[in-house]
Formats: sequence, structure tokens, C-alpha cells
Amino acid sequence: MTTRSISSSGLYRAIQSRRNRGLGGLYIVVVAFLLLYVWLFPGIVSIGGFSKFTQNWFPLALVTMAQALLMLNGGITLSVGPLVSLGAVIAATSMGGFAGTWGGIAAVAAIGLGIGAITGIIVAHLRLPAIIVTLAGSFIITGIALLILPRPGGFIPGWFSDLLAGNTPVAFCLLLVAIAGWKLFMATPAGLGMYAAGENPVGAFRSGVSVERVKVAAFAISGLLAALAGLFVAAQTGSGDPLIGNPFTLNSIAAAVLGGVGFLGGKGTMRGAICGSLLLSVMINVMFFLGFPPVAQYVAQGLIIVGAVAIPELTAQRRKK
Amino acid sequence: MISSMPLLEARGISKGFFGNPVLKGISISLQPGRVHALLGENGAGKSTLINLLSGALQPDGGEIAVDGKAVSRFNPGAARAAGVAVVQQELSLASELSIAENVGLGAYPRRFGLVDYKALAEQVKTVCDMVGLTEALDTPVGDLSLGRRQMVEIAKALFLKPRVLILDEPTSSLSAHEAGILSALILKLRDQGIALLYISHRLNEVRALCSHVTVLKDGVVTADQPLAGVDAEGLVKLMVGRDPGDLFPTWEAVLPGEERISVTGLSAGMVRDIDFSARAGEIVGIGGLVGQGQEDFLLGLYGALPGSVKTARLCERDGLFSDVGAANAAGLAYVPADRKKEGLVLPHSIATNLLMPSLGKLTKNGFRDRGAEKNTVLQLASRLMIKGDTGRPVQALSGGNQQKVALAKWLPLDPSVLLLNDPTRGVDIETKREIYLMLRGFAAEGKLVILLSSDTPELVHLCDRVLVFRDGRTVAALQRAEITEEAIVGAAMGLTSREAA
Amino acid sequence: MNPVSTAVRGLFRSPPLLTFLLVALVWLVASLTLRGFGAYGHLRYLLELSAVIGIVAAGQTLVIIMGGIDLSVGAIITVTAILLPLISPAADPSGIVGIALALAIATGIGLLNGAGAAYLRVPPIIMTLAMATFLQGLLVMVAGGSAVSVTNASVIWLGQARPLGIPAGVILWIVVAISVLLILHRTPMGSRFLALGANPVAARLSGISITRNTLVLYALSGFFSGVAGILILGMNRQGYVGIGDPYLLTSIAAVVLGGTSILGGRGTYAGTIPGAILLVTTTALITIVNASPGWRSIMFGSLILALLLISGREARR
Repeated sequence: MTTRSISSSGLYRAIQSRRNRGLGGLYIVVVAFLLLYVWLFPGIVSIGGFSKFTQNWFPLALVTMAQALLMLNGGITLSVGPLVSLGAVIAATSMGGFAGTWGGIAAVAAIGLGIGAITGIIVAHLRLPAIIVTLAGSFIITGIALLILPRPGGFIPGWFSDLLAGNTPVAFCLLLVAIAGWKLFMATPAGLGMYAAGENPVGAFRSGVSVERVKVAAFAISGLLAALAGLFVAAQTGSGDPLIGNPFTLNSIAAAVLGGVGFLGGKGTMRGAICGSLLLSVMINVMFFLGFPPVAQYVAQGLIIVGAVAIPELTAQRRKK
Repeated sequence: MISSMPLLEARGISKGFFGNPVLKGISISLQPGRVHALLGENGAGKSTLINLLSGALQPDGGEIAVDGKAVSRFNPGAARAAGVAVVQQELSLASELSIAENVGLGAYPRRFGLVDYKALAEQVKTVCDMVGLTEALDTPVGDLSLGRRQMVEIAKALFLKPRVLILDEPTSSLSAHEAGILSALILKLRDQGIALLYISHRLNEVRALCSHVTVLKDGVVTADQPLAGVDAEGLVKLMVGRDPGDLFPTWEAVLPGEERISVTGLSAGMVRDIDFSARAGEIVGIGGLVGQGQEDFLLGLYGALPGSVKTARLCERDGLFSDVGAANAAGLAYVPADRKKEGLVLPHSIATNLLMPSLGKLTKNGFRDRGAEKNTVLQLASRLMIKGDTGRPVQALSGGNQQKVALAKWLPLDPSVLLLNDPTRGVDIETKREIYLMLRGFAAEGKLVILLSSDTPELVHLCDRVLVFRDGRTVAALQRAEITEEAIVGAAMGLTSREAA
Repeated sequence: MNPVSTAVRGLFRSPPLLTFLLVALVWLVASLTLRGFGAYGHLRYLLELSAVIGIVAAGQTLVIIMGGIDLSVGAIITVTAILLPLISPAADPSGIVGIALALAIATGIGLLNGAGAAYLRVPPIIMTLAMATFLQGLLVMVAGGSAVSVTNASVIWLGQARPLGIPAGVILWIVVAISVLLILHRTPMGSRFLALGANPVAARLSGISITRNTLVLYALSGFFSGVAGILILGMNRQGYVGIGDPYLLTSIAAVVLGGTSILGGRGTYAGTIPGAILLVTTTALITIVNASPGWRSIMFGSLILALLLISGREARR
């Protein structure tokens, strides 16, 4: 019998370590791929190499968080990619102009939060399927991005690009901040309520969780994260591109599913999703070093999504028989 | 016993849904330090009463009073403030969260806006100790058995430090050991001055725990009295017994024909290891309290729920059906209980719904045969006495007529076995009468009818024999002469047939 | 009851007819106000463009009626348009073999979509999105980035010929339209699609197989996307990566413009036909007033969202 060997003060840590143990297999796979990568490309174990590697990972990690957040709450979003584009476009058009660098950052954050919240209100209060609402939303957001900046261009201050995407691991530190922010959120009643509402909305409602408000908050935070990923991409490329975010929609779903997040809500963990994004990022890099053309990653993504859903489903079906 | 000030009262409350009265001016009074039993058959209004007492529903008439004072808007917030906690039948847990996080959900202790895990651990430990949950508090609820989850649910209610605790069938998934712990806990809470309302279909538990009983029948209170001195048969008598009037047709049993269904060791969903056989020309009733596996039994036979058998012979065919289409082809038909969600495509027309199962049959050269379809619809409509345009959406019909459509759509296939899941639920008297006539007619034509019903008089007045389900097994198999409401309800409540007889 | 008012009311209850009237109105007003709009050549050109969208939207209509959305139609068009010139055997001067092969591939891709949704329980929208991404990558790897020119005689005929003055593409559209209308309204399968879209649980309990119909449905959608891909190839004379991209959004928009509920269970291809024409016409008009691709995307997205809000309101009633 498992007794309460832990002291009551260690409850939080015990819950966390148990979640980590559940992901042991995933951690091993991620470490194996990382080692393979180091072996293929030893340059990664330098400040510069590590910085570049984490800069490639960072936007994917952010959009994966944006996606996983909603999937854990029982939703999904197809407007992640367009939001990344919009974030990049707003950054590239506002930073050089009236708003200045900080004003630009604030504008990106505000737009991301706002669009996310509006989507959330439509989904939660009108009870419409998130997948179709965000599909329609993705077209509208793409259109807005194209209106603001019809073709790649705009301006990002050089120092800002150097800060985020230079030879220092600033991106990695920002990722740690984002993860810390998530952990903080998940330690609030609202965060736990969001998780509970994903799997059992009726039960959560009866337990006093304001299910609709939590859903709107989830969409808003998701929008914020996606737009900030766009800000980073703009800094990385030094300009804005109204279509640059498109691959992120499927990428974010692939990474979340790879990390064990289920389509039906309440299944999986954010740390799993982040590991999934790291795994996907390393896979893409490894494929690149093995000489696959860049487009091969699209092929891989399609296979990964279907595989990540199919393998558990098939094993479950076989077990039933 | 001197009655003190009641903590929570319903005073003459009424509640109806869509014009059907469910509760008709009933009163109940929950006193501190007393375990109050609430008994009643399926559909007597127990769930509605619980929802009213927990603020989830508002009464149409009458009032709810806390500490003797009427509360004008008794909503969930007011119920919480009054210290009312409910342990519902369906679990409200999230499986990936830990025991502690589930127990505290909605009432977490906070520090600087964050969940105070230290305080949470201490408070949860207290209630877990009370219910005998010894698992580590960080265990995800998904790793627990159903019974343990039920205990977490109870701990969750206790976490709110209730003054009034409502327990709706709390023992249905508990082991004997767990049920024992719960019983002791209930008595302890009672001694601490908490008012408890206990809903259970296990009469011996009720008698061991409760000192007062309210019995509901058809939305009215038929007994509100101390439990001492009332025996089990007396309780059953208080719940059953309605004058059927001329609702049911008179009929003669037909001589059963060849064997249509024969299964041994059937397990599917909740159903465990059932042996069953039935012949052409019979109406076999399936009774028991709601959710004891009756529906899974029908779905298992119908190939709609994966299951396993030792042996199975269904309509001259070996083994269970792999899908519904195969069952239809062999001559089985199923009418679901929830006609709006499972039986009909509501926005589609009456004609479309009537043709749904027979689409593949009414064809000419691979195309739909409009003439044959029209004839079929006309015939069915006249047989059902559905007047007017069959192009209207089926949702425009009354509940009774909708149910007739859900049943009649199978007739063009001429099924030899009809599996009916509560076909008269929410149906008006006139339609009920028609459906009963149809059912006996089917039996007379040599069809086998398996009638699952939550309405006990139906089982008594229509069936050749009745099986009573409890916890996924059959606990009684009553032959024609033995079928009485007392026997069915008694078996459903877990009395042996000797006690109930 | 007054027969005229009944007729008017019936009209407003029939989205296909309403959309047709809207098209007629727009054409009339535009012909009177814009120079060159009403010319036979211009209207014929609009119809040719509508034919392409209408054929893509044929499969999309069926998918949406059954409660899904096929996000891979654009990619399947591209696959067909690029592969057809490469796989047309030189030994077959008519080009029929190449067309048959290309259609088989398109149908096979659709079948894979259906298998993923039916057997692996991947949500259909995700499945088709993953398929689109997969194909996009695969094509660049297989065919490289350059455009391929078509020499297949049948395909060129389809894209360029005008028997009796009617573009062959429009004739093809008429054939497709009749087939889809027959499938949807005159075969048991069409009724099954509608039932599954409106209430999958009730349909399944009535003996309608979800698995089988999902497979057929996505195979059909793949087939019609393939047909559209061949027509586009014939009109453009060359295929390149991205040639099918514009047709994803327009196919969905044409379907919902025609009154088919985006939540499934209600609709007809008879509405999609005028929907496609209306879409092409408005696009042509906003091109005249110099609207950017951004505005088009916003317009289509808002249209889908607005119709979703309406469908949702009706579904809740």
C-alpha cells in the first residue's frame, strides 16, 4: 500500500515529480535525439550553437504552448499560424514608426490577447465548435496581416534582433520565463479549473469553476503566446512576412500530440507538449543535417500527427480484441 | 424524538418540465443530527428534488427555507453559503489531476493568489482520513478504481465543511469494505449535528443508517415518517401501486415459437456474464433501477456495444454482431430511450426519418425508388395515425408522435426481434395505449419483443416474463404468475424474492 | 392561403433559389453599370472560373453535409496538376490513360483521408490538414520547384475547347453537377450522408455504417478535387506547386454561400452551384475596384463565420 510517506508540505513537489515520472519514456526519446544531434553537430555545445538551436526551437515552443493550452481545455485552434504572421507583421510595421520598440511589443501583445479573447467569447458563449470558428478566424487574421503588410518587409530595430536572435541564449531564457509563467498559472485556482473543465466540464461547473470564463481566458492567453511567437520570428528574420506563420498551425498540433496531449481535452500535460515541441524541433534539425530538403519537414509533420494519434488508437483497439 | 429547527426545508414545492409536472407540492425537512432517507421508484422525482435542494433548479411554486427562513432565490451560490453539499451520482472529477487537487477544486485555500498547497494538503488529509482514503494525495484520480473515485467525490463534498450533506446513491460503485467505512462516517457526521439526506436503492442500508424516511411516488409524498417499525415490504408498498385503469390491453399469451435469441456469458459495458434466451411470440420485460446495465444488455445484443460471450445464437446466426448493419440484416431492430438524441434526426422530415433504416431496400437500379418510398411512408403514416404533411420536420411532432416514428421506421424491414429501450418515456397516455397495443400485436404476429422499461406497471401488465437487473447482473427472472410490482421493485432494491413476496 | 405569398415565402425558405436570384441581380446591375461586364465573352469567362470552383466544391459540399471539412482539396488539385503531365504515358496519344491514373491517385488520397478519420479516429479536419501538409512537402521533393507543362491532348482539349461555343469546362461542370445532385438526392448514399451529418448517433443506431460512408465520402471528395485539378491544368497549360491553394477557401465559401449548414446535416449542391458563380462574380467585382488578396481573405473568412453564427443559432433552437 502506498502510504503518505510525503510530508504535507511536499504535496506540490510530489504531484510534479509524479507527472514527470509519467513522461519518462518521452524524456528518454528527447534525450536520445538530442544526443544524436550533438553527435551530428558538435557545434551545438557552444554558447553560439546553443543560442541558435534554442532560437529555432523557441517560436515552436511558444505556439505549442498556445495550442496545448486550448487542447487541454477541450478545444483546439487552427488560427495559431495566422496569429504568428499577424504578430510578426504588427511588430515590423509599428516598431519603426510611431510606437517605438516597446510600443510595438505592447501592440502585438494587446492584439494577440484581444483576438484570442474574441474567439474565446464566440466559442464559449455561443457554443460553437472551436475548430470551425478558428478556421474562419484564421482566414480573417491572414487577411488582416496581408492588409497591413501585403509583402514581406517592415522594420525591426537591429539591436532588438541582436538581443533576441543574436549569439546569446536570450530566447532560451525567455522560454524559461514562459514556462515559469505557465507553472505559476497552473498553481492558481483558475489554472487547475481550466484543466478540470477540459475533461469534465459538467463536473467542473458543479464544483464552482466558471467554465465559460476559464475558456475565454484560455483562448486569450493562447492568442497572446502565438502573437509573441510572431514578434520573435520578426526579430529573427529582421522583417515581417504576412504568411510566415502558416506552418505553425500544424506544427503546434503535431508537437502537442507528440507530447501526449489528446484531442478530447484534459488528457496530457504542458511539460509533455513542450517536450514534444523540442522533439519536433530536433527532428527537423536532424533531417536537415542528414541532407533532406527543407520541405521534407512538411512530409514528416503530416506523418507525425497521424502516427501520434494512430499508434495509441491502434494499440487500444488491439488490446480490446 | 424532539424535532429541532430544520437546517434545510422544502415547503410545498412544485416543479415541471415542458408542462409535465414532476413534483406536485411536496415538503421535506432536513434536521440536524438526522439521516433522512429519500425513497422512490424511477421517475418519482428524486433527482428533481435534489436539484432543487442544491439550487441547481428553481422551483415553480413553494419555497426553500434555510434555518427556518425562506430564501427567495436559492441558487447554487446560496446553497453553498447555506452549507449544502451534494455527492452526485455522476462523478465530477478530472482524472489527470491529483486527489488533493480534485478534492479542493472550486474551494482551494489561497496564498498570494496561488493555491496554497501546504494548507490544501492538510485540509485534504483531514477529509481523506475521514473517508478512509489512504492513497497518497498526489495520486492522479485516473489511477483509482471506480469505488475509490466515489470516495474522493465524498471527500470533495466534506471538504466544503457542509451543514447539510445530500448523498445520491453513494454506494452504487463501492466495495463492501468501502460501504462499511461510509456507513460509519455517515453516523459520525450525524452525531456531529450535520443533516443528511440519503438516497439509495439498497433498502438494508437505508434501514441501518436512517431514522426518518420520505417516500416519493409520481411527484407526491406518500410517506414522511420515522423509519422505526416499517419493514422492507412496507417501504416497497409505499413506492408502488398505481391504478392502471384501462391503459393496458387485455391479451392472451401466445405459444412461444422457435428460439430467436440465446446467449450465455454475455458481458458488454456494465453487463457481466448474463445467460439469456427468448423465443418468438414473447414479450420479455427488462426491469430494475435506472443504470444497472439494462441498456448495455440491449446494445450488446444489437451489436452497438462491443462485448463478449461464451456462446451466442441470434436469429439463426452464431456469435455477436460486429455492427448494427449486420444486426438489422439478421432481423433485429432497436428503439433507443432518448429519441431526440439517438432515435431521430430531428431537423429532417418525418418521411426521411421513417425511411432511414430501409433506404437500401427501397431502390431501383441503385437509385432511390420514389414510388416505393412514397407508398411506404403513406402506409406507415396511416398505420401510426400521423396526420398531415410527412414533409414536416419530425421535431414539429409531439413527443408521443415522435416516439411512434422512432418505432415505426423499423416496420418496413419486418424485424423478427424488437429491442425497445423505454419506449413510453415522456409519452402521453393516448400514445402509450397505442404503443402497448402495437407491442402485443407484434408478439401475436410471432415477433420477439424485449421491452426495457423504467415504468414498472408496464412490465407487470404487458410481459410474459420479466428479468430484473442489478449491478450489471440479473437478480430475478419472474414468470407470468410471479410478476407483481412488489416483486420487481423488491428485486431491484436488493431484497430476495422471498422477502418481497 | 394566397398562392403568391406562399410562393414568395417558399422562395425565401429555399437558399439555392435565393442565391440564384442574387446572382441574377448582381449580373444585371453590374452589366448595366460596368462597361464590358455584360459582354458574352466576359460572362463566359466568369462561368469557366465558376466551373472550377463548382467542381472542387462538389466534394466539399458532400463533406460539409456529413459534418466535416476537407482541407486537402487544394493539395489534391496541385498533386493532380503536377503529376498528370509526368505520368501520362507517351504511348497513349489520347491522354485518357494519364487522366485515369491521375484520378485514381486523387481518389486514393481521399480514401486515405477517410481511412485516417474512420479507423484511426483522427478528427477529419486535422486529418485533411495533415494530408495537405504532407502532400505539399512530398510534391516539392518529387517534382522539384519548377512548373511542368502539359502535353496531354485530352487535358488541353478540356481546358481550351468550346464545342457549340460552350467551354468544355462548363460542360464538365454540368456533368459533375448532375452526378452530385443524383448522388445526394436520388441514391440511398446521399440520404445516409445527410443523416450522418445531422445526427451520427441516431444514424448509426439505424444501421448506417459510419466507417463505410466516411471512406466513400472522402474518396469522392478526392475524386472531384482530381477532376478540378485536371481542368485547371488544361486551362493553365502548366502545373506548379501552389496552383491549387486558392481553391480551398473558395470551395468552402461557395458551399456555405449556397445555404449548406457548415455544421452539417442540411444542404444541397443545388445551392453550391449559384454559390460558386456568386463567389467568382464578387471576386471579379472587387478586383475591378482593386481589392487586395487580404480583403478577399477577410471577406471569405467573415462570410464563413457569419454563416456559422446563423447555423449555430438554428441548431440551438
